[in-house]
This record gives sequence, C-alpha cells and structure tokens, in this order.
Amino acid sequence: MTADASPATAVSPDRALRRLFLTLFLRGRSSRGLRRNNMPRSVASKLLLTLLAYGCFGCFALAFVQRPVFEISIYLHGMTLLFCGMFIAASSGEILFNKEEADILLHRPVTPQALLRAKLTILLQVSLWIAGAFNLAGMVAGTLAPNGNALYPLAHALSTVLEAVFCASGVVLAYELVLRSFGREKLEGIMTTVQVLVAVGTVVAGQLVPRVIGRATFRSGSINAHPWWFDLLPPTWFAGLDDAITGNGGVRAATLAVIGIALTALVAWLALGRMARHYETGMQLLGETTSNVPASQLTSRRWLDSLVHSPLLSWWLRNPVRRTAFVLVASYLVRDRDVKLRVYPGLAPLLVMPIAFMMPMSHRAADPFGGFGVAFCGAYMGMIPLFALSLLQYSQQWQAGDVFRAAPIPGPALLCAGARQAVTCFITIPLMLFFTAVVYFLRHTSSELPLLLPGLIALPVFTLAPHLGGKAIPFSKAGEEARSARRGLDLFGVILVSISLSLVATWTWAMGWFPWFLLGEIAVVAVIYTLMRVFLARTPWPSME
Amino acid sequence: MISVQQLTKRFGEQVAVDGITFEIPAGQIVGFLGPNGAGKSTTLKMLTGMLAPTSGTATICGHDLQRETLEVKRHVGFVPESGAVFESLTGLEYLEMVAALYAIPEAAARARIEQFIAFFDLSFSTLTDKLLGAYSKGMRRKVVITSALLHNPPVVFFDEPLDGLDANAAVGFKALIQTLAREGKTIVYSSHILDVVERVCDRVLIIDKGRLLLDGKPETLVAESGAGTLERLFTRLTGGTELERRAEDFARTFRP
Repeated sequence: MTADASPATAVSPDRALRRLFLTLFLRGRSSRGLRRNNMPRSVASKLLLTLLAYGCFGCFALAFVQRPVFEISIYLHGMTLLFCGMFIAASSGEILFNKEEADILLHRPVTPQALLRAKLTILLQVSLWIAGAFNLAGMVAGTLAPNGNALYPLAHALSTVLEAVFCASGVVLAYELVLRSFGREKLEGIMTTVQVLVAVGTVVAGQLVPRVIGRATFRSGSINAHPWWFDLLPPTWFAGLDDAITGNGGVRAATLAVIGIALTALVAWLALGRMARHYETGMQLLGETTSNVPASQLTSRRWLDSLVHSPLLSWWLRNPVRRTAFVLVASYLVRDRDVKLRVYPGLAPLLVMPIAFMMPMSHRAADPFGGFGVAFCGAYMGMIPLFALSLLQYSQQWQAGDVFRAAPIPGPALLCAGARQAVTCFITIPLMLFFTAVVYFLRHTSSELPLLLPGLIALPVFTLAPHLGGKAIPFSKAGEEARSARRGLDLFGVILVSISLSLVATWTWAMGWFPWFLLGEIAVVAVIYTLMRVFLARTPWPSME
Repeated sequence: MISVQQLTKRFGEQVAVDGITFEIPAGQIVGFLGPNGAGKSTTLKMLTGMLAPTSGTATICGHDLQRETLEVKRHVGFVPESGAVFESLTGLEYLEMVAALYAIPEAAARARIEQFIAFFDLSFSTLTDKLLGAYSKGMRRKVVITSALLHNPPVVFFDEPLDGLDANAAVGFKALIQTLAREGKTIVYSSHILDVVERVCDRVLIIDKGRLLLDGKPETLVAESGAGTLERLFTRLTGGTELERRAEDFARTFRP
C-alpha cells in the first residue's frame, strides 16, 4: 500500500482503490493479526500454492499435443471458464457487496462506478492469474499441435484475457440486472440465486455440454464438424479466435471470433457503463438499516422453532449445546447473506458433476461403465456434507464465535456435532433425495440404486473429516479465509476421491461381490467413525493465536 | 452551512426520518440527540451522501445533496458509529488510502497524519507496523477520527465519537472539536452521553421516531422546561421516565 508516486503529487483515487482491493484480497479483510511482518499471509501464500497446482493440472493439456488447435482450445477454454467462473461466482458477493465497506467508503468522494471498476479489475486480475497458470502448458501443446504455430501462445493469451473479461463482466451484469428487475428489497435473496446459477452455468458450459455433444463429433477436431448450437457456448467463441489467429479455421472461425469479441465488449460495456448505476443502488442498500422485519422472515423463524421442538428433533437434539449449534447453523443457512453466498454456490457444481457423468450414458444402447455413474452419484452424496461443513466455518461474524470459548464447554466437539446435524437436515437429506430421483429418472430403473450405498455408507466419515483436529468449527474464521480461488481444485480432488470409490464399487458389482464389499465397507467405516468420534471428543479448543 | 428541508427517508412501509427541517450556520457545534432507532444515524447517512433521501432537500456548503453528491462528500468528514476500518491494513496504509481518495498529495497527507499522531499520542511505529485488526478499540477510533479530518473538511459529522476512547482521549477530543468550531467548522455531534453534549454543544436537536421534537440552546431548553438537566428533559420527551420504576421492578423480581 505504500505509495510509489512522487510525494508532491496525489495518488489517483482509482489507483488507490485498485491497490486497496488487491491488498484486501491478498491479506483478507479482517484479521486478529499482530504486526505487519507477521500479518496474515494465508490468502496470498495459499493463492501461490493454488496457482502452482493449477499449473500442474494444466499440464494435462500436453496429452492433447497431437490434437488439432481447435480441440485443444475448446478444452482449455472450457476448463478456464469453469475455474474462473467458480472463483468469480464464489468471490463476487463478498468483493462487490461488503457491508462494512459501506461505512468506510460511501461517504468518501468516489463514485460507485469507480468502486465497481476497481473491484472488477481485481476479480479480473486474479482470474487471469488462475487462467495464466492453468493455460501455460496448453499454450505449448497448441504450438506443437499438427496445425499449430508460433502464433498460438499469443492468440490463446488474447482469447483467455477476453474470456476472463467476459466472465467477470457477465457476473457483475447479472447482479445489475437483478437490481434493475427486482429492486433492492429482494436483492439479498436473489443474489444467492444468481450466484448459484452462475456457478452452475460455468460448470454446465465447461463440462456438461461438451459431453452431450458426443465424442464422435468432438474427436473430429474440425471446427466445421460441430452442430450449430455449439456456437452458442462461450468456450467455442474463444477457441474460434485461437483458430482464426493461427490461420486454421476459415470463415467459421472468424465468425466465432467476431461473436466472442463483440459479446465480450457488449457485456463489459453494459456492466461498467450502461447498467453501473444499479450497482449504486446495491451499495446504498448495504448502508440501510431498518428495524422492520419482513413477514416472510418472521415465518421462517417460527418454522425453525417448531422444527427444533418437533418430537424427533427434540430427541435428536436433546443436548443443549448441540441444539444451540443446530439452531445457529440452520439460521445462518436460511438467513445470512454471506453464508448463503458461500455455501450454496459452492455446493451447486457438486450437483451438476454426477449428472454430467450420467448423461452421456443415458442415451447409449450399452453402458460400458456398468453402473459407474450411479456409484459416482452415491460417492458425491458423501462428499456434500464434507464440503458444506468446510464452507460453514467461515463467516463475517467470526469473532462472535468467541462466545462458545467463553462458555463452560471443554472443546468444539458438541458444537461441531450440532453443525453436522443441521447440515444433515438442511443439505444432505434433501440432496440425497435429489440424487436418488436423478438416478431413477436418468436410468429408468431402480435395480442400480444399491450402487448409491457405498457413498451413503461413507457419509458419516466424510461428515466428521472436516472437524478433525478441532478444525472447521462453525463460523470461526473470517470469510476471506475461504480460499475461494481454490474451489475449482477442491472440486477436482473431490472428483478423484469419488471416482476411486465408485470404480471399486462398480468393479465389485460387476464381479458379484458387491454385498461383501458393502459389509467390508460398513466394518471399516464403523471403526474409523468410532475412532474419529473419540478423538474429536477429546479435542480441546484450538489456540486463538 | 447546512440547510435541511423536509428531509424524509422511508424503508418500505417504515418511516425512519419524517420530514425534518433545520439550518446550521458555520462554526456551530450541534448535538444531535435521540433514543435508539430515532433516525439519527439515518439522517447522518443521508447528509453524508451514503443514503439517498426518499424526499426533501439538503444543501451542505451550498452544494445540493442529491445533484452534487461528490462535492458534498468532499466538504464533509464523517465518523460513523460502527468505527469500521479495513482491518488488514496498517494504520498508515489506511490513512494514506483515505488521503488518496481526497486527492491529497502524499507529502501533505503525511504531514497531516503526523499532526494527528502527535495530538492523539499514537506512536508512528504502531501506525506503520500494526494491522488495524490488532488495534484496541480506542486506537482504532482515533484512526477513524483522523481519517474524517484528514482533508480538513468545513463540516464534520460525529456519530458516537467517544465510543472506545479513554477518559484522557475523550477530554482531548472535546477540546479538539471546540477548537475546530472556533476555526469556523460546523460540527454535528450525535451521542447518547448527554452531559458531554450539554457541556460541549452550542445547540441541540432532539429527534424521536424520525421527527424533530426540540431545537435550541441546551441551557435555554433546560431552563424553559424546568427539567433541571438535559438528561431529564430528554427522558421526559422520549418516554424514558418509566425506566427507573422498571429497573426497580426488574431488580426485585429477577432471579437467576
């Protein structure tokens, strides 16, 4: 933050804001940090590691080295859109609409447009770091492709920048359209929906649609071999730009490139120019305080109270600390904007991926994977509480969590147990029903439903895992520590674990050993679960240092 | 210096500020009083350009609040009740950032910051080495007050400025605002600490339920009402007279 301009001149407000938001992004917005040389570097250092991991993951593109430029570009732009979109979707709510920021900046002589520009610049900058790390190896692959040349890195860098601009501006525009269409009163509820839709949209655009296209068409690698509606997908436009600059694609590539450039310019102009005044509305909303509680909120409070006092939950939540934690977590899952913006968009891609794995199989005559998709769905179900509980440890009111440390409770075990129960009630069970329905409708049979069981059996272990070592205590960390830039990689890790479990389950199913596999899994899970419970019960509060 | 005409703010059905009108000349310290939820903070947020009024007009230093919002913001300083700061910046980084937003040249900003550091008895190393998240509440409040005065604004709004300040700092702060008023600055001081308001302010505005109830010099209002003190007058006006009896009832009936 130390200015490097001449002392006689003033740093321009735009530059000061850009510097401010970058510093806040890298350090996090709040800290219990001590001195400057000991300040929380967690976000920055984790971001560096994350970029390194993205770089390694990007090396997978080298496997495409013998494929045509267009096919390599489609892969790279699809994944870039997925990663950047997930980062922007997860971070934009926090960066664009921060409540505390209203008291600090809204009475200063800066326009909301200047604030928006500075914030968008930071979203774009970090997106480009992610995109740059991931695409580095891909640029080499594109250069070495049969129809590639030395222009490819330049072309791909340009198209990647455009794609990041498109993605970041698109998210901002989505918020502005919500504010314009629904007004400030409904902003908070709708913001969550928008962010979930953006997260799902990026996964769909990056993953689901290429699978639906069909391998035969895709593998041809020719830009002219794809159906017309393929041109509606953003990765295609930017891959077209790569093809056009490297001189491979002809008229269709040029058309796609023009569509990409024109739509990016249009979205950026709408987001930063024409619709920017609606951002001011959103910023002012943050400064408004009213004691009027909407009737819908009162209803939700009564509903939650009735739920907790229902016979089944009264018994399940008979421990008062567990019940308190349950109510706290449930309330935040239903009411708190910050938590909703983190949890639901974070979970949304999880819902899309199993469907992505099942869809190509659903319209094939024979299923070469022998129920793998169903087993994968089950494994994903197990992962959902793990992800949800990891996300629930972050809150803007994290310092309020000290109330639990001050209370006569020996450790966080009971608090974490209440959080697990709330996640089970409000997230895991509804999504289990959703996945079961998806499997049933996509496979048109219930005979493969037992393949969901391995994931369900592993669920208690996955649910306890985030709390090991006194971690993931609900609402105990600042929201900015949520490492949102890593979300895409976490998802990749989850996919790998799910695939491993699913492969074993599918193999035993095919070999006729499935019941034995289930019995073995139950025994292993029971032992691990018991050990974890004992370990957690003995875990003291982690240090506040 | 400040002219407010029929200023109103509605949040849906709720009227937070209901057509208040007042004028404040240069060099006056005005106490802005009211119980919780009376509309004080909402009024201050409107006058600092943070919230758009539903209706009514206001001018500050001759600039219309709605048409020349940026000019108004250049002419006011504001210490919000929340005392919010960016906790992961050091004190110096925060103040330099604020200075840049007002286009204050770096050297001038540094000189002004040093003046405030000396006044508030802060050490420069604290300001450069410690993140604001590690400051005590009082130190953080001093940084927020400095950030509100850094651009030398002719109008300053204070919303509970003494919150977190120790006794010595509070005495120093009161002396500071009296000096600022003597130099011709207009001070609007919102607080619940009525004896401080009574001693420091030239005039008080009392609002309740969004409406302006009283406007005048503290000593005149107290004398005319026969209340004896500003505190008694305030509780009489805002329905606080029952509190003593309720406190006695509470102490008598409360059992752990």
